[in-house]
Amino acid sequence: MLTRIFAYPGGKMDGIRVGNRVIGTQAPVIVGWENIPKVEGGPVKQAFFTWFQPTMLFALLAFWYYAPNSIAKASTAVAIGIGFKVLLLGLEWVNPRYASWRLTWKELTTDLFYVGLTYTLLRIVDGYIGSDTVVKAVQHQFHWDKLAWFTGLPLLVQAFLISFIFDFGQYWMHRGMHNWYPLWLPHSVHHYITQLNVNKGAVGNPVELFLIGLGIGGFFDFLPRAALMAGTFGLAIGTYQHINVRFNSPKWWRFLFNTTEHHSLHHSQDFEATRSNYSGSYIFIDRMFGTCIDGEAELLGMEGGRRMPIREQMTYPFTEGWKTLRERFARTAAVPAE
Amino acid sequence: MTGTAPSVMAGGGIENASPKGNRVNLRFIDWIWHVEGSLALAPGQTGDDAFDRLDPLFRQPGTSRERSGGALVFRKKNQAAQDKMSVFDGGVLRIENGMGGLVLRYRLASRALLFCFLAPLLFLGLAQVTIAINAHQKPSAEERSQKPAAKAADVQQNPIDKALGAPAPEKPGKDGEDKHDKKPSPTPAYVFAGIFAALYVAGRILEDRLIKALFKKRLLG
Repeated sequence: MLTRIFAYPGGKMDGIRVGNRVIGTQAPVIVGWENIPKVEGGPVKQAFFTWFQPTMLFALLAFWYYAPNSIAKASTAVAIGIGFKVLLLGLEWVNPRYASWRLTWKELTTDLFYVGLTYTLLRIVDGYIGSDTVVKAVQHQFHWDKLAWFTGLPLLVQAFLISFIFDFGQYWMHRGMHNWYPLWLPHSVHHYITQLNVNKGAVGNPVELFLIGLGIGGFFDFLPRAALMAGTFGLAIGTYQHINVRFNSPKWWRFLFNTTEHHSLHHSQDFEATRSNYSGSYIFIDRMFGTCIDGEAELLGMEGGRRMPIREQMTYPFTEGWKTLRERFARTAAVPAE
Repeated sequence: MTGTAPSVMAGGGIENASPKGNRVNLRFIDWIWHVEGSLALAPGQTGDDAFDRLDPLFRQPGTSRERSGGALVFRKKNQAAQDKMSVFDGGVLRIENGMGGLVLRYRLASRALLFCFLAPLLFLGLAQVTIAINAHQKPSAEERSQKPAAKAADVQQNPIDKALGAPAPEKPGKDGEDKHDKKPSPTPAYVFAGIFAALYVAGRILEDRLIKALFKKRLLG
């Protein structure tokens, strides 16, 4: 049972063995649900922050399941998405997880800049080389039809499969980013964030945001309503990866779904802790492959918490990659021929 | 500030402003990324005491400061998000004689404010790029006429969904458009241009007030 809290003595820490590795030797982390702080306050507040996540998920799913066709449209989903995120920003204000993660004007503006890039620049790029475009070209080339049998499945099954297939792919892409240097370079800048807020998921180099958005969903035909419900799984589960709200998530929720706790550990300043909790929405994928650690961290980031400015985030993967290449070739050249 | 007092550049750098030259012209626009203000010190409070009280604000990672006489000049680089003055990249604080005693005057520079001010231009540019791309890719009348007709086959609703009362799916192509051929719209870019314009106004007012409140709290607290 993993039940230790690490104080921060300012020096090297002992760490704790989790499976075959030791985490928490470089920065403080909390391991074990029983050690994670709970929501403080009266019974109403406690109930609200315990049941908010499941209530919103089921309410949104019910809405999309029963909404008339005239309402069940992408424009409604966009409006709900914006409204939900504004609500979550309000919750960050009311019940922050950590004061040190408090959203400032500068942080909000920076985050929204990346959100803006996602909705504009990346959409243009996706139109040319995005996975849906590529899949469409492949289907056209080989005269393949979409897998139409998918549309005959119950809506919820379709929705779950769309979101699970995407998340499964994202898990391996994300894990690959942490294990293969060329993929790590574009992803690394996302790990320079030093606090979690609602829009922090959008912060990163555009190359990484493009890569993490790749999926094979284009091979399947599905009902538009199922796609909207799949989006709800992302909105009402995945959004909680990056958020500064203290929740008492129910046990079943945190067993199945990725939470702020899991993702804060993934963003910890402790290197070994970052090599865990790769999935976007479904933490049970991490459980399946042995990369899940139930815990939490407050001190986040890289290089001791250095905040990377936007300009550097845009160029870092390329400048750092070039530097590494030069060093490698310089070493090769320095080795005398036998 | 007047004369040859230290001045703050957009990048947080400090230079001695000349009364002549480009700096004079820049003054007409540098309010965009500069926040200035003044606070009366408490009766009997000396300049050194005031700077001592403010000193913790400048003992932050990535911050360097110099105190000489009645002025404090600071610069920040890669300042932490948790730094209470993280929005500012440099600045000058001076203790001067005012009408009713000593006064702290400050002039702080923020690249974040400058970039936020310019961000709407970037997004308006992206909107224009989107429009240009869409215009370039507009299919000819011939191509449009060659487009295969949408499949009119009914989509079967799963019996479970039918039993639970979910609305029956619409026939594909009912709206007369192929949703997969949708082109990017310039609307999000316009929306984000508006958002950043609003954020700039909010930030310029908010950060002005917050820094004044922070200095006041430190000086009088």
